[in-house]
Order: sequence, then C-alpha cells, then structure tokens
Amino acid sequence: MERLEGPLEAAARTVLADARELQGVFLRALYWTARGRREPGEVARQCYEVGYRSAFFLSVTMGFIGMILVFQSGLQLLRVVPDLSQLGATFLELLVRDLGPTISAMMLATRVGAGIAAEIGSMVVTEQVDALRMCGVDPVDHLVVPRFIASMIMTVVLVMFSGLVSFAAGGATAWFVFDVQPLTYANFSLLDRGDLITGLAKCFAYGAAIPIVSGWCGLTTRGGSEGVGSATTSAVVNSSLAVIMLDLVISGVGFVVFV
Amino acid sequence: MATEEEGPAAQTGRAVLSLATDVGGAAVLAARLARRMVPPRLDGPELWRNLYRMGVRSLPIVGVTALFTGGIMVIQAGVLIRRFGAEGLLGWGAGFTTLREVGPILIALMFSGRVGANNTAELATMTVTEQIDALETLAIDPLSYLILPRVLSMVVMLFVLTVYGDVLALLGAAFMGDALLGVSTATFWNGLLDAIRVWDLATGLIKSALFGGVIALSSSHYGLSVSGGAPGVGRAVNASVVASATGIFVCDYLATYILQ
Amino acid sequence: MIEVTNVWKRFAAPVLRDVTLRVPQGCLYGLIGPGAAGKSVLLKCLAGLLRPERGSVRIFGQAIESLDEVSLQAVRNRVGMLFQNNALFDHLTVAENIAFPLRRRGITDEAEIAARVADRLRAVSLPGFEQRLPGGLSGGQKKRVGVARATVTRADVVLYDEPAAGLDPVTSQKIFDLLRREQQEAGATVVMVSSDIDRLLTVTDRVGMMLDGALIFDGTTAEAQGSLHPVVKQFVHGEVDGPL
Repeated sequence: MERLEGPLEAAARTVLADARELQGVFLRALYWTARGRREPGEVARQCYEVGYRSAFFLSVTMGFIGMILVFQSGLQLLRVVPDLSQLGATFLELLVRDLGPTISAMMLATRVGAGIAAEIGSMVVTEQVDALRMCGVDPVDHLVVPRFIASMIMTVVLVMFSGLVSFAAGGATAWFVFDVQPLTYANFSLLDRGDLITGLAKCFAYGAAIPIVSGWCGLTTRGGSEGVGSATTSAVVNSSLAVIMLDLVISGVGFVVFV
Repeated sequence: MATEEEGPAAQTGRAVLSLATDVGGAAVLAARLARRMVPPRLDGPELWRNLYRMGVRSLPIVGVTALFTGGIMVIQAGVLIRRFGAEGLLGWGAGFTTLREVGPILIALMFSGRVGANNTAELATMTVTEQIDALETLAIDPLSYLILPRVLSMVVMLFVLTVYGDVLALLGAAFMGDALLGVSTATFWNGLLDAIRVWDLATGLIKSALFGGVIALSSSHYGLSVSGGAPGVGRAVNASVVASATGIFVCDYLATYILQ
Repeated sequence: MIEVTNVWKRFAAPVLRDVTLRVPQGCLYGLIGPGAAGKSVLLKCLAGLLRPERGSVRIFGQAIESLDEVSLQAVRNRVGMLFQNNALFDHLTVAENIAFPLRRRGITDEAEIAARVADRLRAVSLPGFEQRLPGGLSGGQKKRVGVARATVTRADVVLYDEPAAGLDPVTSQKIFDLLRREQQEAGATVVMVSSDIDRLLTVTDRVGMMLDGALIFDGTTAEAQGSLHPVVKQFVHGEVDGPL
C-alpha cells in the first residue's frame, strides 16, 4: 500500500474486511448446521444457558418498558382524544411488531452476546481453539453452531414470554392510572397476520445474528486477557448494532409488503 | 456461585442479598464521589482526556444508532398514519417517541455497551493488577484521580451525545418519511414543531443525564469491586452491562412519572 | 519430511524473515532463540494454523501453505501438537481430552479408546487420572496430559511448543526424557521449541537457532555446542558478555 489513504478510506477498508469475515462465519455456521454431527446434549445445554439465565432479566426490563410506554401513550392519547379504549390494542400491535422482539434482543445482545464472546475469546487466548483445529474441528462448528441453534429457539420463546410480561405490566398501569378495565385493554382486534409475521421474522433474525456476531468477535480475539475484555465489549456493541440494522430492514420490508 | 443443591428459597435469598450489596455499593460510591465535589477535588487533565475519548469514540456508533432509530420509528408510526390517513401526524408520532423515549434509551444502551463496559474492564484490570493499591501508596486518592473524572465525563458525554443523536434521529426520520411514506420533509417538520413542546425534548435530555449517572456508577462499582483475577474481569464486565441496562429501565420508569 | 523454504510472515512487524529449514524423517529437532524470535510462529506455520505471506511449507512432500482448511485436515491428522499453554479443554475430563483427537479421527470403539487413553496416562506417569478435570491439575500434570494428547494418535510429526515452561528442573528433565523416549519408540519426526537449552540439548539430534525472525544457525547438537558463531556461542553457553 504505497498510496496514503485518508481516515475514511481506511475505515471503509476495515469495515469491508470485517464484513467479509463475518459473512464467512455466517456461511460456515449455516453449512455446519445442515451438515454437522451434534452431540445431543450440547444444544439443550446452550438453550439453558441462553434462555433460563436471561428470563428474569428480560422480564424485569420488558415489564418496565410495558409500564412506561402505556403510561406515556395514555398521556399522549388524552391530549388528542379523550377515549382510551384503543390503548391496549395499539400497544399490543406495537409490542408484537417491533418493541417486543427489538428491546428483548437488545437485552439478549448485552447478556448473551457478552457471554459468548468472553467464553470463545478466552478459549482463543489459551490456544484451545488452535487445539480444536489441530484435531480437525472447525471452531465455528464446535463453538458457534450449538449457540446459534439454541439462540434462535430461545429468542422466540423468550420474546413471547417477556412480551407477555410487558403486556401484563402495561395492563396493570392502564388499570390503576387510567382506569381502563383489563377486558377493554386486552383487545386483539388490531393484530393481523402482517404484525405476527414481521415480529416472528425479527425474532429469528435477531436470534441468528447475536451468536454469529458475538462468535465472530470471540474468534477474532487478539492478545491476552485485555483482548478478551475488548472482544466482549465489541460483541455487545456490534450485536446491538446488528439488531438495530435488522430492525430497520425488516420493518421496512414488512411495511411495504403488509401495509 | 449457585450450586445445584440449593432450593429456590436459598437462590432467591442469595439474589436479593447480592442485589442489595451492589445497589448499596453503588450508592456508597455515589456519596463518596459527591463529597469530593464540594469543593471540587478532581484531576483536570484526566477529565479532559476522558471527555475526549468517551465522546469522540462513541460518535460513529451513536450516530448510526440514532439515524436507524429515527427510520424505525417512522415505519412504526407509518402504520397508524396509513390507517387514519393523517400525514400531518407523522412528525408527532415519530418525533415524540424518538425524542422522549426510544432515542434516549437506545443511545444509552449503546453507550453502556461501548463506554460503560470498557470502563468496567479498565478499572477491573487496574484492580486485579493492584494498580489501584499502588495509587493509594503514592498518596493519590483513586476516587478523585480516577473515578470522578470518568463519572463526570460519562454524564456529560451521554447528554451531549443524546443531543447529537436527537438531531440525527430526526434527520433519519424525515428521510425515511419521504422515501417510504411519501410525506414531504416540510410536512414532517411542521407536524413535529406543532406537536412537540420544549418540555418533551427536555425530559429526554434530563433522562439521558440520569442514564449517564446510572451507567457511570454501576460500571465503576463493578470495576472496583472485582475479585478473582482475569476471569473475574470478564464476569465484572458482564454484570456491569446487565446492571446498567436494568438501571436504565428502572430510572426511566421513575423519571416518566416524575417528569410528566 | 518437513521442508520450509524462504518463508516470510509479518503481523505488525516482520516475525519470520526468509526462513529455510529441513527436518529429516525421524529427527528430533530443537528450535532455540531468545523471546520474540519467531519460534512459536514458525511452529504454527508448520501446523497450518498460520499462513506465511511468502515461501513454502512442505510436510510429507505436500505444500500446505496453499491448502484450504478441509484439505489441511488430511495433513493435520498425521500431526500432533502440544501448545505453550497446554490448551486442554476445560470442560472435558482428562480422559476425554486425550480421547478427543481419536474420536475426531473416527475411532468409535470405546474399549480401544479407553485402552489407548490408559496407555498414554501410564506413559506420562499419571495413571488413574482419567476422571480429573484440567482445572484441578498442577502445571506439570497439565503439561503431561498435553503430551499424552499430542502423542495419542501416534502421529508421524509431533510439534512441541515449550514443553517444559514453568516447570522445576527435575520435572522438566523428566518431560524431555519422556518426549525423547516417545519419539524413538514411534519413529516420529519432532520439532521442539524450548527456552530450557541445557536440558533441551540433552535430547536433540539437530538444533536451529532463531534471532529476530531469521534462522541464524542450523546443525547437529554437537555442532551447536561447538559453534564459534558469537551469538550461538553466547546463547548456548548462557554467557553474559556477548552480542546479545
């Protein structure tokens, strides 16, 4: 590289190189998901790691989100119309289509993504990943794929569970603050096929993206324990960013197709 | 470390105790920092260095997050707009949620992942390698020298970054409204300016300063109270980002009631 | 057997500069040199874990620098490696660690696996350690489990990265004697990186010395001990005064 490049050019070059590596991890994960031999217990163990340990954290945060949003939108609606009968239906639609999957996935990116990167990263710096390669094991197959499968399953389950918590917490707020009866609040009339498909597509996309991005951050760890620290940080940031980008893309496509 | 034999009661008790320890620890840290504020005893150059590094390094990530958030909120509001056929409401629908609620939260979560996690990792590494003890033997107060500049920088920078993010989020929203919904930029701005009060903008920014405080205290607390060598650093980072996220939502809930 | 020709490798700065090296079959080759001389990097290039920018690495007559990961597998099946940090899998027992390469090579007969694991553990004087976890072992015990795992497949080529690092002199000598015995029994070709020169030179057939990424000496053990090259002489005899 004789020519001097500007900072933007250098940044673009890094982003492109990273994207190519990330794509490589993704394609290999898909290949091994289809072809690889799994030890039966491994995926179940990862489901437990991903799911059970995040369930409490997700319900707390999503419960608060439900209370905040119902309170906020109640106040806003009262500014425009004095009728709050559609409050629950509107909130449910927004929850299913966007906020449920997306906010949960941001939380999972924090909790699960950091865990995956830390675990794989410390295996890289202790040469365990090199040892796997010497034994003829693709680290993506052995380390990323079980988490990839578990994360896709558990994201759907966790999003449904924490969405329910969120909807219930919102219902309690609507009842106590705005005196909206639970039967009025639990109104499914605005929910249509498009909302459900968009929400489900987001669950799968986020569930796939978080372990891939975090696994990539872990596998590219350099240096000693500081390396593991920075791999963990970048796993949180990059998988959160992936969630937001996928949200925009899937929301946009969903809007064009279903509205 | 929960062992397999523990019953649910023991696990709950343990969880409550550790929650109390951490919340209490962060509160004590806040009190000790507050005492060093009057009169201000902090390291000036260290403050500037932290402001610069936390702020400038977060610009790209906050910018991207904000642009996308604006776009996403327009799509979500777009469903309602199509249903009621009221284009003028787009500025209100998208702008209000972005400025007051979703923008500050998403930017704070990103900031927590980037700056907060990094802060915990740095402080935890300094703790396990006994650098904090070394400072004390040199008669340098680690709280004034290390922690206070970081905490102040995080509060100030998250506030500044949210202002910057708000601008970008509105740009993203206006662009998306034009591209996807065919709502002209002028209609969007008019809708926005009619419906949004200065107070809405202010609550978002007040909250962001609060979130900055939560992230700063929890990340510093977990960094300083680390134990167990290098693996302990990893656990501290993980615990710190989880605690920050929970703290952000709890604070948001309280702030929403108080600042209505 | 192993042929390295004009190999260059750089990370931020060059770490291998024009290294050319031949290790004949059945030879125990010792690689010495000060820290950061490129010894471990060269070893990882031999295993195909790192790829050189220029030059060629041939093992069993096959050039491995251009092979993809899948084709590399056929070569790696005939190579064993002990890592600097042992790289034992934390979540597996000692027995499962040693059995891991066997299972990956398609051996499914549990009785055979158990017999070979027990045989390896006897060879490294750790009989009865099958069900222990790596976390509960001492540094020397981990090393020996690492040696057992590296040799369990009876590989034709075995690479050892610092087999005696951090061990006391007695344990260290025992490990070197063990590796020599293993190598002679199996007729394997071995490349060994170590900083413990005094003990390393008691077992090697040939020795190479690296300095700043270049191979500055290559010869028999006797030639290394009698070398007049100022750097090699200083390093081999541990003198304080000299060019280093």
